[in-house]
Amino acid sequence: MNAAYEFVTGPLAWAAWGIFLLGSAWRLYSMYQLAKKKDASSMAFMDWGFSLRSIVNWLIPFNALGWRKNPAMTVATFVFHICLILTPIFLVGHVMLWDQFFGISYATLPDNVADIMTLVVIGACLYFAGRRIMQPEVRYITTGQDWLALTIVLAPFLTGFLAYHQALNYDLMIILHVVAGEIMLAAIPFTRLSHMVFAAFTRAYMGSEFGGVRHAQDW
Amino acid sequence: MNRTFPLLLAAALILAFAQGALSQQDMKTLAPAAYGKLTRPAAQFNHDQHNEKAKLEECVACHHGGKDGKQDKSASTEGTPCADCHKLKTGGKGTALTKAYHKQCIGCHQAKGKGPVACGQCHKR
Repeated sequence: MNAAYEFVTGPLAWAAWGIFLLGSAWRLYSMYQLAKKKDASSMAFMDWGFSLRSIVNWLIPFNALGWRKNPAMTVATFVFHICLILTPIFLVGHVMLWDQFFGISYATLPDNVADIMTLVVIGACLYFAGRRIMQPEVRYITTGQDWLALTIVLAPFLTGFLAYHQALNYDLMIILHVVAGEIMLAAIPFTRLSHMVFAAFTRAYMGSEFGGVRHAQDW
Repeated sequence: MNRTFPLLLAAALILAFAQGALSQQDMKTLAPAAYGKLTRPAAQFNHDQHNEKAKLEECVACHHGGKDGKQDKSASTEGTPCADCHKLKTGGKGTALTKAYHKQCIGCHQAKGKGPVACGQCHKR
C-alpha cells in the first residue's frame, strides 16, 4: 500500500501535471500554426473587442439564445462546470496535500458543501449521459470520444466520493481516486476535454467573425 | 437506602477522576480539546499499541523538543501533549498543530515504508 501510494502521489503525479501543462501548451501552439496555414483570413478579422464581447455574453446564464433554448442543459452545464473546478481546488484533503508537499495553504470548502458539490458533478454527468442516449439530435452526433471524456471526468468524482465516505475498500479506492484524477489531468490536452484550453479561443473566433464580418451578435 | 446513595456518588467521583488519570494510557485517538469541532473524524492512535508495534523504546522519537520553529531531536519532552507546544495557528515561527501531526506521523510512516499515509487510514469513520 505505502509503495503504491508513494508512486501515485509522487512520480505519477509529476507526470500527469507535466503532460497536462506541456501538452496544453503544445496543442495551443500547433493549433495556432494550423490556423495560420489553413484559415489565414481569420487572422485578419480576430478582434479583442468582439472576442471579449462574445465571451462575456456567453458566460452569463440564459443570456445567449443558445442558453435560453435549452434551460435544463444550461442549468446543468453551469453548475457542473462551477462544481467541477471549485471542488477539487478547495477540498480540505487536497489543500492538506498542497501544504504537506509544498507548504502552500489557502481557504477550504466545508466538507459537507464539497460533498454536495461532488454529487452535483456526478448527477450532471448522468444527465449528460442520459441526454446523449435519449435526445435524437444529440445521439446523432455522439461518438466514442464523447463517452470517453464523460467517463474520464466522472471517475475521479465517483472514486473521491466513495473514498471520502470510506465505502468499500478505502486503501484501493484512494489509489484509484488519485490515478483517476491524474488520468483526467493528462487527458485534458488530448481528448474532448481540450475545450478547457480551447473554449476561450473558439468563442473569440466566433465573436470576431460575427462581429467583424457578418456585423451580427453571436449570442 | 440512605447509605447507598453517598457510596454510589463517591464511587462515581473516584471513577470520574481515575478516567482522567488513566487517559494517557487509554489514548485511542488524537483529538486534543484545542481543535473544538473536528473537521475530519479523529485520527486513530493507540499510544501503547502503536509503540509496541513500531518497536519504539525512546519517547523522544516523537516527543521532541525545540524552539523558534527549530526541532531539537535530542531534547525529550515526554509526557507533554503535542498541543501544549504546537498551537492551532502559529504566528510565523513554529509548526501548527495539524501540520505537526501530519509531518510527524506521515513523515515517519513514509520513511519506514509502514503505517498509514492516506487521509482515511487514520481519520477512520
